Amino acid sequence: MARINPEFTDELIKYGAFDPNACYNCGNCTAVCTLSDENNSFPRKMVRYSVLGLDDEIKASLDPWLCYYCGECSITCPREADPGELMMSLRRWLISKYDWTGLSGLLYKSLAASISAFVLLAAVVIWFGAYWHFNLETVMHYGHYFEIAAISLVFLAILLPNIIYMWWLTVYKPGIKAPISVYIKAIGELVVHLFTQKRTLSCDDNQLRWFEHFIMVLGYLGLLFTTVFLDWFSTQSMFIIVLGYVESAIIFIVTFDFIRRRIQKDKEISKHSQPSDWFFVIWLFMMGLTAFLVRLFMDVNILENNIWMYLVNLIILVQWALIIVPFGKWTHFLYRSFAMYFANLHRATLAK
Amino acid sequence: MKQKIGVYICHCGGNISDYVDVEKVRQSIEHDEGVSLAKTTMFACADSNQKEMVEDIENRKLDGVVVASCSPKLHLLTFRAVVERAGLNKYNYVHANIREQVSWAHSDNKEGATEKAIQIVKAAIAKVRYAEALEPIKVKSTKAVAVIGAGVAGMRAAIELAEAGSEVFLIEREFFVGGRVSQWDDLCITEETGKELITRLYDEVMKHKHVTLFTGAEVIENSGSVGNFNLKVQITPRHFKLHCNSGELQKAIDVCPVEVPDEFNFNITKRKAIFHNYPSEYPQLPAIDLKNCTRCGECEKVCSNIDFSQKTENLNIKVGSILLATGFDPYEPKKGEFAYGEIDNVVTFPQFKRIVHYCDDKLTYNGKEIKHIAYIYCVGSRQVDGENKYCSRYCCTANIHTAITVKKKYKNIHNYHFNRGIRTYGKAEIWYDESSRLGDIYLQSFEHDPPIIEKQGDRTIVKIKDVLTTDKELEVVADLVVLVTGMEPRKDNSISNLLKVPKGRDKFFNEIHMKLRPVETVIDGVTISGASQGPKNIMESMNSALAAATKSFELVDSGELELEPTVAKVNEKTCEWCGKCEEACPYSAFEKIEKDGKFMAKVNSAVCKGCGMCLPVCPVNALELIGLTDQEVESMIDALIPTI
Repeated sequence: MARINPEFTDELIKYGAFDPNACYNCGNCTAVCTLSDENNSFPRKMVRYSVLGLDDEIKASLDPWLCYYCGECSITCPREADPGELMMSLRRWLISKYDWTGLSGLLYKSLAASISAFVLLAAVVIWFGAYWHFNLETVMHYGHYFEIAAISLVFLAILLPNIIYMWWLTVYKPGIKAPISVYIKAIGELVVHLFTQKRTLSCDDNQLRWFEHFIMVLGYLGLLFTTVFLDWFSTQSMFIIVLGYVESAIIFIVTFDFIRRRIQKDKEISKHSQPSDWFFVIWLFMMGLTAFLVRLFMDVNILENNIWMYLVNLIILVQWALIIVPFGKWTHFLYRSFAMYFANLHRATLAK
Repeated sequence: MKQKIGVYICHCGGNISDYVDVEKVRQSIEHDEGVSLAKTTMFACADSNQKEMVEDIENRKLDGVVVASCSPKLHLLTFRAVVERAGLNKYNYVHANIREQVSWAHSDNKEGATEKAIQIVKAAIAKVRYAEALEPIKVKSTKAVAVIGAGVAGMRAAIELAEAGSEVFLIEREFFVGGRVSQWDDLCITEETGKELITRLYDEVMKHKHVTLFTGAEVIENSGSVGNFNLKVQITPRHFKLHCNSGELQKAIDVCPVEVPDEFNFNITKRKAIFHNYPSEYPQLPAIDLKNCTRCGECEKVCSNIDFSQKTENLNIKVGSILLATGFDPYEPKKGEFAYGEIDNVVTFPQFKRIVHYCDDKLTYNGKEIKHIAYIYCVGSRQVDGENKYCSRYCCTANIHTAITVKKKYKNIHNYHFNRGIRTYGKAEIWYDESSRLGDIYLQSFEHDPPIIEKQGDRTIVKIKDVLTTDKELEVVADLVVLVTGMEPRKDNSISNLLKVPKGRDKFFNEIHMKLRPVETVIDGVTISGASQGPKNIMESMNSALAAATKSFELVDSGELELEPTVAKVNEKTCEWCGKCEEACPYSAFEKIEKDGKFMAKVNSAVCKGCGMCLPVCPVNALELIGLTDQEVESMIDALIPTI
């Protein structure tokens, strides 16, 4: 027995949902959705749960993560209830529910809070630079350490507990008892999804979007590896230097295209942009561009006199690592892949 | 006996002639007694054949005509008109059906079909031999109409009739006009209140000097028939003098010590024995309800206008037609039906409307504030086990409109609609749209799985297996449960018993034909309108009121009515009045009279329908049906079975 909570839609609208109450249960969205089958009416079930405010059911569901937002449902909806954007909002809402710190929810719902956090971190970085008298070598040295520390901290203290909580909500609590062997077998799929997000190929009519996304992920993960472990900014290896250039160029070129689409709104997926969506693409773009410029300044030997360039890069990096990665849209990448993984556990258990 | 009968046998393209040998039929009857002309024709109903028939009748001086073709329902009137055009009385025409009764029914047996067709045509010829020329019965008609019920339908009809030029007696049982609509307040689509509609109609009614309004009045006797109904109207006094001081009136109401449940508010409030339903009600004069008045005399002390000497009056009126606009009763749920009468915050929709009317800025019931409202639809309508199988039509729309009104009038209202499929037909669909966009939640179940209402502690819970959420079991905590009740026929049957108005299976008044004759009844002169005929919204009631007014006016307008002459006739010599015919007659057309020192039956030919129910029960065979005399029927039987 589930109790109806009509105030839930008001909450969801704060996460970007358009007008879920407009739904009159015609089922056109389900008819057009490639994810829908006899057992799962996709995305109607989630729309209905949202209208009724069945938040426990939504928390236990992996459905929002299986949707890659092709937007067909929103185009087909005769009531303009925008089910595609509703699924997107549910993902934002779920991120805030998985997050034990509660900061995700705050940042999603309040633009002022997000801006304050960005400004605060920028101030801290400038203060840090001033503390070391803007000495390039020292600042770069600690900057590099910061990257390693931030990655470990964010992963261990925030993302890992959140994923465990997500597992508890979606696998353990609904009573899915998969043997260890199934967990191990499905890991291969998890890695593939993390790197390729290949599921999107089955939804999207535009293969270019997947390809862009794919090389962007490779570029991003590559740049992360190149800067953190191959120490791109200090290396003398020609190969690594060129590799870094290529990776950072890929990031800002591809994200430039993403930003262009969000401005032009030519596809359903890029029609509705929440602040969190803008932060994500702009910061990714800036990250690629500033890293590229920092290395370029080094190679033409002007960074010594233009340390601000490095500081800008560091500010972007710090904001990215401490706001967008743990609490923002970046987590999509992680939760989505884990949702596929958990869905495999569901399937394996149900098959038995 | 006819000597020159013309017989036409139709091929009906091939519909008849493919199975019936029409030429053989023609040959086998052409030498029958009295037949002077026998023809076959490709299409008897075609213009060319109709012309030929007229010429034949005129040139050969035919005195009787038979066409053997399709069902008389299709072309009886066509051929009656043909013989009339040729100068013959239309009752000298007899129709034989050899299509529906022969060729279509016996397409597997052509010889048998032909044989049957021959006999049917012979029977028709036998009947036409004895047919007589008949003239319609003419009766005088009084140019006045009694409209029963001064609700919206009755008032609308009264205005229309008066404008057309008829005298109108508008008879209302209650002390105030307006009926159910005056209880309704905010109305759907037009955004007017019921009071506004009533005021407009009442003002128009009062403008017409040809409308006489009786309130507190009931028809208690009826005699006569179409054109000349004699009605006895009983008028209960209000016990107030006309033209009195309104300040004193209010004082009289204030001092009255008697309090009774106020039916106008569906018993959610109380009223005094001196009452009006709302301050500006029409007629603007309170009334004393003598059933509850204790005659304590308190009111007389403060108000000089009270007059207990007024007596019940009887008035005889004569009208040509009666228009019924007696309305409906709201369905009253049984005790325990969706917890009605068991859980105190379960109310009916009409009660809810009145609650909303009395709550200004905060919706409260029994002293508690209401935020979550559950509406249970189709209560008393579309019943699986109960008698009311029909849809009450107005409730989905009216309730959704009310839910929106409530949401806009008060803060933080949440509406939950537990429905069996929403039927906001026509223009009302916009309200469904608005309500759902305002965040109202719609939950649906089928008739075999209705929502369950139960008490958990001091909370009222409504549970449903929602088909829109894959039959998931859901529940709502409701502050108020509204049973969206439908319409029922009036429990009071006095007027329908008096006029013998037939009722349908749903117990509402029945029309002759749902589509083609929607406001006439089989009782000549009695028309029906509004929700007395079945669930209707105000717009539909107006439509039917205007239609009924037109049909009633048609009957009284010319001052004379022509009626079918095919009625029963009493043989005064043999009738000895036993009363059996009176018992058998479904229309009360018989009357016992005394003539030349003996009792006998008399047929009121304006009431008789010629159904023939009386004929077989007469022990002395003193009755005959004009147009279907014994002689005609016996000769037909002889023709049909010649071998016996």
